[in-house]
Formats: sequence, structure tokens, C-alpha cells
Amino acid sequence: MPGPLVLLDRMIMVYGDPAAYLVVWVTIVRILEGVVICMLIGTALGLLMGLERNIEAFFDSWIMVLLTFPAICWAFLSVLWFGLSDIGPILTIVLIVFPFVTMNIWEGTKAVEKDLVDMATVYKASRSLIIRKVLIPQLMPFIFSALRIALSLSWKIALVGEAFGVGTGVGQQLIYWFEDTRVDMMLAWGVSFMILMVAIDLLVFRVWEKRTFAWRHKIAS
Amino acid sequence: MNIQTESVAAANTVVAVNNLTKKFNLPMNGGEFVVLDSISLNVNEGQFAAIVGPSGCGKSTLLNIIAGIETHESHEGGSVEVFHKSAEAGSTPRIGYVFQNARLLNWLTVEGNIQFALESQQFPRERWREQVTKYLEMVGLEGQEKNFPLNLSGGMQQRVAIARALAIEPDILLMDEPFSHLDEITARKMRFDLMEILMRAKPTILFVTHDLGEAVFLSDEIYMMSAKPARIFKEISVDVPRPRKPEDPVIFDLEKELVREFFSVLDAQD
Repeated sequence: MPGPLVLLDRMIMVYGDPAAYLVVWVTIVRILEGVVICMLIGTALGLLMGLERNIEAFFDSWIMVLLTFPAICWAFLSVLWFGLSDIGPILTIVLIVFPFVTMNIWEGTKAVEKDLVDMATVYKASRSLIIRKVLIPQLMPFIFSALRIALSLSWKIALVGEAFGVGTGVGQQLIYWFEDTRVDMMLAWGVSFMILMVAIDLLVFRVWEKRTFAWRHKIAS
Repeated sequence: MNIQTESVAAANTVVAVNNLTKKFNLPMNGGEFVVLDSISLNVNEGQFAAIVGPSGCGKSTLLNIIAGIETHESHEGGSVEVFHKSAEAGSTPRIGYVFQNARLLNWLTVEGNIQFALESQQFPRERWREQVTKYLEMVGLEGQEKNFPLNLSGGMQQRVAIARALAIEPDILLMDEPFSHLDEITARKMRFDLMEILMRAKPTILFVTHDLGEAVFLSDEIYMMSAKPARIFKEISVDVPRPRKPEDPVIFDLEKELVREFFSVLDAQD
């Protein structure tokens, strides 16, 4: 195992080459695409399950099936179905992560205050208005926690997907240096990417979350 | 059923409740619990009607049925009708509702909360600003448009809820013990201000309370309700011109009379 100083030295080496940034960029785009699709499908399905008994009854067990299906099988299946195209790793992310998002949002719908929905009903708010202004704001804490989970799972899956399949991105670098038995270089890539993901969580998501919940703390002017 | 419609058509009735009965099924033994027992009342345009009764007598259930958030099946007995002024084809009556709690959307500004009701009622967007300003001023909250509800006191939040209800210019304004969660001094101020609003905007109000003094001070018409059975046992008119004073001897005597009435009914039940 390389020590921290060696690791730092290798990271400087990795990012001394401009080509490294393209490698990282390719992976980040895949992750973000995966996360966005997961959030859209997961939120919509979670909301539907919370609103409609029939849909809830139907998907209740299917979500559990998806959650327990071995992640590695999805990775292999995606490679089989889509070979070396970009769709493989993204599909792997979506299939593994969206059930987690769905679960979270569905749980969130159970915490919605019925009193406020009743109020909106008396004023004859349309369904879309109720979803936008009454339900979604109450679900925001759940949406943010789902987003966090989605990002943290997605980047790990993306690397595995890249290692097995497409042959580009950070995952491909990991498997390349692994096969070359260069643990130092492999870790330099892995650890630097982890740092980047934590930075996105702290600098983007946390700040965004704080702004979203400003109404909780806003001080009268 | 046609008999009811005829009797209603005579006056400028806004809300007509006829022999309304509401039952809940008891999950334990398959029995039924009668929440409302043959309730009849009429609220006329511009009138302030109050239902007074002890806690748990089904007053809120009645308001919720009128508001359409509590179901009522015709086989349970009786009917509820809400009429509306602008009888455009396909339009439904406008109902404003002030609940015990303000029930504001805390993530929207004060203005946003009122606009929510206006948007729900499909008020033309160009009238929103005018409505918001007019009714915030009426409840004494001018200049609070951009503030968030959680910065406001409980009394002010309830004022926003009242402005929201008035802003849609409702055919009927339902109020369910709107001041019961406020401290007495704030509640007293709110009652005075509500009376001012009555004199200015002349809304039609059906008000539910357990506070006899509040009912006498505010109402034109009082329906007294008992808990078991959940019936209206007396109807009283309060013919005192506004503005009223709570220390007005007529008001005070009437309140004492109502207290006596209630105790005689309660005693008869024991």
C-alpha cells in the first residue's frame, strides 16, 4: 500500500496530464445523466405510489425486487445489451439507483400534512397546483436525501460499469492500472475521484439545500 | 327533495342544510356513531351565522361537509347545498375556509399564499396584486407581502389565512374556531377587527365556536348545538347593530341567557 505522500505525488502526476481531465469529464457526465434520470423516474414513481393506492399496490413488491436484485448482474446485463456504448453504464446506474429514490420519495409522501391538502382542496386547487405548491415543497427534504444517496451510489456504479464495459472514463483507468499491478496509480485515480464527489456534495448540494429551506430561517426585514 | 329546493329558492340563501345526518361506522363492533343528527340551518347572503356547541358535538364535521372535504352520502339522510351569486354555467360556489390553525404554506410568502387561493379559483392573474393588497390591508397586514409565515406571530398568521379566504370573494366563508388557538388578548383584538371587516366587506359567514361570548358578539344568528344527540336545539337572533361592544348590556344579557340554556340542556342529559 502506498503512503499518503506517495499517493499525493501520483495524483499530481495523473493530473499533470491534460488528458486526465477529459477522462474525469466523461465519467462525470455519465454519473450526472444517471442521477438526473434516476431522480426524475424515482420522484415521479414515488409520488404516484404515494397518491394512488393501485399504483402503490402494484409497485410495492416490484420495488423490493429491484432493490434486492444483485447490482453486479445489472452491470453484466447492461454490457450484454448495449456493449461498449455509453448507454451501458448509465442504464446500470438507473436500474440500481432509481428504486432507492422511489423508496425515499414514497416514504416522504406519507409525511405530507393532510391538513394542507384539505385546505388546497377547499380552495379547489388543481392537481398540478397541489403537487407543485403543496406536495413537492413538503417532499424537498426527502428529495435532497434521495439526491445524496443517488450521487454516492451512482459514482461507484459508474466506475464498475466503466471497468467492465465501455473502456473509457475513470473506471477504465482503474482497471488498466490494476492489471498493470500499479496499486499506487489505481488509488491515485480512485481517491482523487472520491474527493471530487465529496466536493460536489458539499459545495453544490448542501448550498442548494440551504437555499431551498431559507423560508425556515428567513428573518423579517 | 323538491320541497327543499322550493323553500330555499324563496330567500337569498347561500347555504342550505336540510335534515343532515352523518354517521361514522365504528370499526370495533360494526355499529354506527351519529355525528350529526338531522341538522337544518340556512345562512342568508351577508349574514353572520354561528354554530355554538361543546367540543366534539360535530360542528367541524358539519363545516367540512359543506366545504366538501368530508364525505356525505345521500343515504345517510338530508342534504347540503351551497348557492352562488355568479350563476355562470358550470361554475361552482366559492368557499373560503379559515381553520383553527392558519394552514399556510410556509414555503411561500404571505403574498404567495394568497395568490395560491386566487390561482386555485382561477382569478385572472392581472387582478392578483389588487386583491392581495386590498385584503392584506383589510386584515391589518399591509407591507407584509414578501414576508414568510414563520416570521409572523400566530395571530398574524391567522390574519393571513383570513385575507386568503376573503381574497377569493367567497360566496360563503367558513370559520372553524379561528381564534381558539390564540391568547385571549389577541383573540379579543381579532374579534374586533373581524367585526370591522364584516362592516366593510359584508361577507357571508358560517362560524363555529364553543365560546358563547364570541358567538353573541359577532353573530346575527346563533344555532345552539348539543353533543349527544348532535342536534340543534335552539336558534337565536342577535338584533344589535354593529359596531358592537362586548360590554354592551344587551350582548352581555344574551350571553348569560345562552349559558343558562346550555346548562339546562346539559342537566337534562344527566
